[in-house]
Formats: sequence, C-alpha cells, structure tokens
Amino acid sequence: MNTQLTSLTKIRRKVTFSLAQTGVFLLVIGMLMPVIYMLIMSFKTSAEIAESPLGLPSQLYLGNYIKTLESMNYISSVMNSLGITLSVTVLVAFLGALAAYPLARKTGRFSRWFIMLVALGLATPSFVNITPVYVIFRELGLLDTYLGIIIVFTALNLPFAVFFYTGFIAAIPRELDEAAMLDNCSEWQIFWHVIRPLLRPATATLSLFVMLMVWNDFIYPLLLLTDKSKFTVMIEVYRFVGNRNIEPDMLFPAAVLGSLPLLALFVVFQKRILAGVTAGAVK
Amino acid sequence: MKIKSIYLFTLPALLVMLIFYLYPIALSFKMSFTDFTGVGIANDVGWKNYDRIFSRQRYLDAIQITFTFSFIVVIIQNLIGLFFAALLFKMPTIRNFCRAALFTPSMMSFVIVGYVWQFIYSPYNGGLNSLLGSIGLESLQHTWLGDPSTALFAITATHIWMFVGYSCAIFLAGFANIPADIQEAGRLDGASAWQRFRYLELPLLAPSITINIVLSTIGTLKTFELPFIMTGGGPVGSTRTLSLEIMQNLFGQYKFGFAGALSIVMLIVIIFIVFFLNRFLKNKEDNL
Repeated sequence: MNTQLTSLTKIRRKVTFSLAQTGVFLLVIGMLMPVIYMLIMSFKTSAEIAESPLGLPSQLYLGNYIKTLESMNYISSVMNSLGITLSVTVLVAFLGALAAYPLARKTGRFSRWFIMLVALGLATPSFVNITPVYVIFRELGLLDTYLGIIIVFTALNLPFAVFFYTGFIAAIPRELDEAAMLDNCSEWQIFWHVIRPLLRPATATLSLFVMLMVWNDFIYPLLLLTDKSKFTVMIEVYRFVGNRNIEPDMLFPAAVLGSLPLLALFVVFQKRILAGVTAGAVK
Repeated sequence: MKIKSIYLFTLPALLVMLIFYLYPIALSFKMSFTDFTGVGIANDVGWKNYDRIFSRQRYLDAIQITFTFSFIVVIIQNLIGLFFAALLFKMPTIRNFCRAALFTPSMMSFVIVGYVWQFIYSPYNGGLNSLLGSIGLESLQHTWLGDPSTALFAITATHIWMFVGYSCAIFLAGFANIPADIQEAGRLDGASAWQRFRYLELPLLAPSITINIVLSTIGTLKTFELPFIMTGGGPVGSTRTLSLEIMQNLFGQYKFGFAGALSIVMLIVIIFIVFFLNRFLKNKEDNL
C-alpha cells in the first residue's frame, strides 16, 4: 500500500515536471518568435504580407532576396567587415596579450593603476570619445579610411582584451615562466615561446567577440565612413533599409542577410561564445 | 629608479588607452567649456553649457528618460533571466537548447533588431497588432511607437527581449557553480522549492546578480541605437535619451562644445552609478 502510494506520487511528480518542462520550452520558443517571424516574412510576397500578415508563405519565394541582393552591396560589405575583423583581431590579440602578461604576473601599484584605467575604458560610452576621435582623425586624414576604422575598433576592443587575457594568464602556472627563466630566456622569449602558444583558446574566444563587435557596431563606422565602397555590413543595412521607408519585402531579407553570418557563427561556436560571456561572471 | 623591462610590454596598450580614452575624456572636458563647432576658433563660455543642461526642461527630460529606460530594463530583464535560469537549471534535457535560443537575439545587431521590431510595432500589418487582431483583442491594437505614452515602453520591451538570454546565461553559470551537496542538503532537510531558492541558491548566486546588474546598467545608460533606429527620439521627444541628444548635437548641429558637456555629464553619471552599485551589491553579497 505504502509503496504503491510513493510510486503514485513519483508518477505524479514526473508528469508535473514534464508539463513544466514543456511549458518552459514553449515559452522559450515564444521568445524566439520575432526571429522566426523575420525569417518567415522574408519569404513572403508583398501581396502575402499585406493580406495575411501572420500567415506562412504559400511557397519558398526568393524574389525578395534576389531584389535585395541586386540593390544592396551585400557581398562587398561582408568582405569589408571580414577584412576589418581580421586586422582588428590580430592587433587586439597581440597588444592585449602583451599588456596582460606583466599585469597578470606583477601585482604592484603600476598594475593596479593600469587595471583601473582599463576598467575606465570598459565603462566609457562611445559618445565620450567619439568627438575627439573625429577631430583627431580629421587632422590626420584618417576619416573614411580602412586604417582609421581598424585603429578605432582596435582601441575599442582593447580594454576587454586586456581584462580577458589577464584572467587567463593568471591561471597559467608561474613555474613555466620560472623554468624558462632558468634556461636564460628573456622576458620577451618567455612571452613569445611559453605564454603565447598557451593563449590560443583564449584568442579564439576573443576573436569571436571582436567579430561580434565589428559586425554589429554601428556608431563609429556611421560617423567615420562616407565612401559607399568601404561600408561595413550594418551601415549597408542601415542605409539600405533607412532609405526605403521600411518596405517589408526588402527590410526582412536585408535583416536576415545582415544577421546570417553571425547567427551561423553562433550555431557553430555556441559553446565557446557562451563560455566567454560567462567567464567573468563566476570566479 | 630601475623600471623592470617587463612593464615595457604594456607600453603599446598604454599608448592606446591614453590616446583613445584619457585624452578624449580630457579634450571633451576642455571642449565642454567652449562653444566649439568643429571648425574655427573655440570661445571660452565658462559653465554656460552645463548651466543649459540643468536649467532646460529638454535636457532634464532626456536624463529622466534615460534613467526610466535603464531602471525598467535592469529590473525586468534580470528577473526574467533569473526566472528562466532557475527553471532551466533543473531541466538538463532542454537546458542547452533553451539557453542558446534565448541568447540568439543578443547576437543580432541593434540596427536589425530595431528595424524588425519597428515593423512588429507598425500599425500597418505589423506583427503585434495583427496578432492581437487574430486572437480577438482588437481593442488593444495600438500605434505603439507613435504614441508618446507607449513609445518608450515599446523600445524598453525590445531591449529586454534582446538581452534576457544574456542575463539568463550568466545566471545559469552561477547556478552551475552551486555545489551539488548543498542542493542535496536542502532537499534532505525538507526545504520547499522556494525556501531552497531563497536561502540556499540566491545567496550563492550573488556574484552573478552583481555582474548582471552592473552590465545591464552600463549597457542601458548609454543606449542609443534602438531609439535612434525605431523612433529617432520621437514622438514629441518621449524617447530622446541622453546619448541620442549627444549625437544630435554633435552631428546634426555641430555643437561640439555642448555635446562635450553632455557626454561629461553622462560619463560622471555612469561611473558614479556603477561605482556605488558595485559597492552596494558587494555589501549585499555578504549579507544575503
């Protein structure tokens, strides 16, 4: 009797749990609806959008995409974003790791000040440095150049990179440095031959964040780039959609095309990206 | 004095920090006391720019709108994120999928999210009104972004939607850090689910609460892109945040001096709030 009762409660608990689980799952799908909506809308004809705003498309209509790709400089803006991302990643990784090495190893007053400076950099909103950067770049002729935008993005990503690498290097045992020191390695040699190879996984994660930032940032390229051929993806999307007074048959394909590379990246590198996001959160 | 050569490694990064952070902040500060317009001579105007910010309703409104936006987002985004994390933590089968699904919007750019939601809120065939219509709630249909009383909340909802997954991921990492034997002990002592959450899990989640609140506060106080894309600050200035005001002064009217004053005010506000928030939350962490 008693065992029957406990097995009944067990079953009831199981049912309640799977009901709750289904509920949570549906809620999450509900949260994803705007993304699904964006995808569905991009395949609907203008007539379908007008007649059944929430309905599914009757067929996989690609006309919107063809029209959008014809009038948007999609491929060239993707190339620009990729090229800028690659250059910025190399620069940020090198400068960030180089600065992080002493900060992780020496905890003197200098290191504490430097970390404070980096924290200030992390909290500074773009608007504070945007005017001075604009003025300096105008003097130096860096407005509307790839070099200028690469320098700016490097500077914007650097505080995060220094933070990120400092934590990572601090976890590398000092014994490795000391062993190399006994072999008469210089500090540079230790950094380059001992530390740097160990930073590969950190650099891989960092590069994803740089990619995310370069891809999605909007303010700096909006102000610094005026030449159409140099536009990054987001500026291209902004100019393209903004000039059309949101015609949905062009808006949604442009939105999908603009997000696609990053969403693909997320699907492939999900674990790494989520680990990077939460790395600082739990000590 | 002998400087250890290892510190030379920080030199390039130090230069970047000086040129792109410290110097610009100093220059903004200097410009904020002038009527500089980007070209020509800057005349010294003393505290006039700051005086203007704190005496005109327009700028006080911008500050208030920024705070309202920030406050609502920080509270609701983190509550929803915590809600999902607390449930998903106990549901390993669907946990990873749901965490990734919730996180997806924060991988998208503000520009795209802004445009997509602008259409969702649109009175002409927009997703939200169509949805309300199809479930018989026509009475709730609304020009969401066109009405000054709802525009700010509509943008707030979009921002929350975008970053709930971010909060949730951080909270989940916090949950994963709670030792299994603590959970077990709670269960054996016959604590209810709520009691376990309140007295066992919540105190151990404190560091992730701090991180989440600080990150979302910084992120929302400088919010610019969503109002810029979705409403341009309107209708009648109801979504004109501080950063939108700065950008309009800067690149609409070339009032570099005044924009400098606004950005200095903003920087001080952010540093001040983040500093005290951090200190307050760290204190709380010990007392939870």
